[in-house]
Amino acid sequence: MNPTRSIRTAALRRALLVVLACVGVAHAAWPVTVVDDLGRDVTLAAPPQRIVSLVPSHTETVCALDACDRLVGRDTWSDFPRAVGALPDLGSAFAPDLEAIVALRPDLVLVDEYSGAADVLVPLGLAVYAGTPQRLDELFVTVDRLGRLLGAPTEAALLAGRLRGELDGVVAVVAGLAEPSVFYEVDPSPYSVGPASFIGTLIGLAGGRNVVPDDLGDFPLIDPEFVVAADPQVIVLADAPYGVDAAAVAARPGWGTIAAVRDGRVVELTQEQSDVMSRAGPRVGEALLLLARILHPGAF
Amino acid sequence: MGRRRLATPLLASIGALALLLVVAAGVGSVRIPAGEVLAAVGRGVWGGVAGARIAPEAEATRVIDTIVWQIRLPRVALAALVGAALGLAGAGFQGVFRNPLADPYLLGAASGAGFAASLAIVSGGAFGLGALGVPLAAFVGAAATVALVVALARRGWSLPIVPLVLAGVVVGSCLAAGTSFVLLAAREQAAGVLTWLLGSLAFASWARVGTLLPPVLVAGAVLVAAARSLDVLQLGERAAAQLGLRVEGLKLTVVAAGTLATAAAVSVAGVIGFVGLLVPHAVRLALGPDHRRLVPLSAVWGAGFMVLADLVARTVIAPAELPVGVVTALVGAPFFLLLLRRRVAP
Repeated sequence: MNPTRSIRTAALRRALLVVLACVGVAHAAWPVTVVDDLGRDVTLAAPPQRIVSLVPSHTETVCALDACDRLVGRDTWSDFPRAVGALPDLGSAFAPDLEAIVALRPDLVLVDEYSGAADVLVPLGLAVYAGTPQRLDELFVTVDRLGRLLGAPTEAALLAGRLRGELDGVVAVVAGLAEPSVFYEVDPSPYSVGPASFIGTLIGLAGGRNVVPDDLGDFPLIDPEFVVAADPQVIVLADAPYGVDAAAVAARPGWGTIAAVRDGRVVELTQEQSDVMSRAGPRVGEALLLLARILHPGAF
Repeated sequence: MGRRRLATPLLASIGALALLLVVAAGVGSVRIPAGEVLAAVGRGVWGGVAGARIAPEAEATRVIDTIVWQIRLPRVALAALVGAALGLAGAGFQGVFRNPLADPYLLGAASGAGFAASLAIVSGGAFGLGALGVPLAAFVGAAATVALVVALARRGWSLPIVPLVLAGVVVGSCLAAGTSFVLLAAREQAAGVLTWLLGSLAFASWARVGTLLPPVLVAGAVLVAAARSLDVLQLGERAAAQLGLRVEGLKLTVVAAGTLATAAAVSVAGVIGFVGLLVPHAVRLALGPDHRRLVPLSAVWGAGFMVLADLVARTVIAPAELPVGVVTALVGAPFFLLLLRRRVAP
């Protein structure tokens, strides 16, 4: 598939989605109920106008759904789009400032399903959606759910279509290219990512071969010896913002022999790039393009 | 000891605690004038007395009522109860082991609770028990660990102290390793597990206060009743036995009551260090080693110390929160050293 055709397909798909979404809107009636990742029914009587997001990727998704102006509060780590920095900082979902949240009188609070925040916010009479996308397919599920909750199904369908189009576009460019082997380092322990994880899936789509096998789970702690034996052609340092650099990697015992180190293909991500890679949100296309450029510098 | 010598410091301490509770309920990240806080308390109490909750007409009033009644008051009450439980357990354990380094977690209660709680958090649905799953797992984990340690250390019907403490340390280390493994294996939920392990009162509720109250009252009653026997025990096990004290029965009773209080506290607030170690020492340094004073006052001072520590934890870097266990150590250690200096000074 050549890029022009891919764009045309995307445009066609987008047009189709608009039609479908309009049909959806005609049927959308309040109250709306969606099921969250804790399996709870979240019911809203009317489109929420005062949203608190305690998850950075949800903050980005809400804004991508054209509802940035309905956000009234955010967690400490939500920093994109830049404008959300002006919203009140409510701590993290794991230790939220409950008083400040209640004082904002939100009609929807978005939290991490593992934070326990839902257990305290619901008894306070707040509507809470608990769930975070952990994998690429879950991103699209989340976009759909948030779209319905926010009363923005059209925007959600358009966003999903745009994201699929962006992913397809990058995939089309790297199709048929030789797949370099990759080691993606989350922190210097070293933790890495499994092929089924969000980042692992992106590595596959970007035309790379993750050296971490599937059976280790999504965020395995890797034996450094294993990395040396796997001899990856590219090493991506998502921990570069925390002080790890190519020189430090080369100085690790035995790592000097790794192809990526010898060929100078140890890539240091910036803080912003690292955030884009780790947040399953509307910047997924940007994340995939970034990876594809790292893996196939000649193709772009 | 005359009755007055217990009553005066106890009443003074309870009075100071009551004042502290009022102040703590008045302070939070949202600034609410003292008058409005008192009015909200009044509305709630009047609603309770009248049997019907008065629905405030203005939305701002409703927000203040929610903050005061559903966030601050349960949190302050929970802090007080957790502190009381740990103070009681610390006084009991230091008394029964006749060791100033003993604390409520000596027999592995913290490690057992931490391991069970981390498993419950990682299993996602908390074993399918919802919001109750993690506290229940922590309670059972703590109690079962101490029971295992006692079973490993006992010689027939007697409970020798040195094997008991050693078994506690070894079993505790083993379970702590298990918790580390769970943390490494389930990275996605690591933040949730760590927050729990560091101890937090952020998720306080009246339901948690309600579950903590009965075990703390029972443990408190048992330990206060055992106070005189603990005084006799300080003469040494053999001397105490010659004076007619049933030493083994006392040891088992105090360990059981201390563990009940510790397990209950840990189950609702996670592992909060230093309180159980420090508070009984502070009481002892200030008022002497008599257990009839030491045990009840450790409960009251523990409650006050915990309320104060939590107040610091939730205000100094608001909207973020310090783990309260960090505050208990940071505030507690210098205060303790100060008391110690005053005591040894001529």
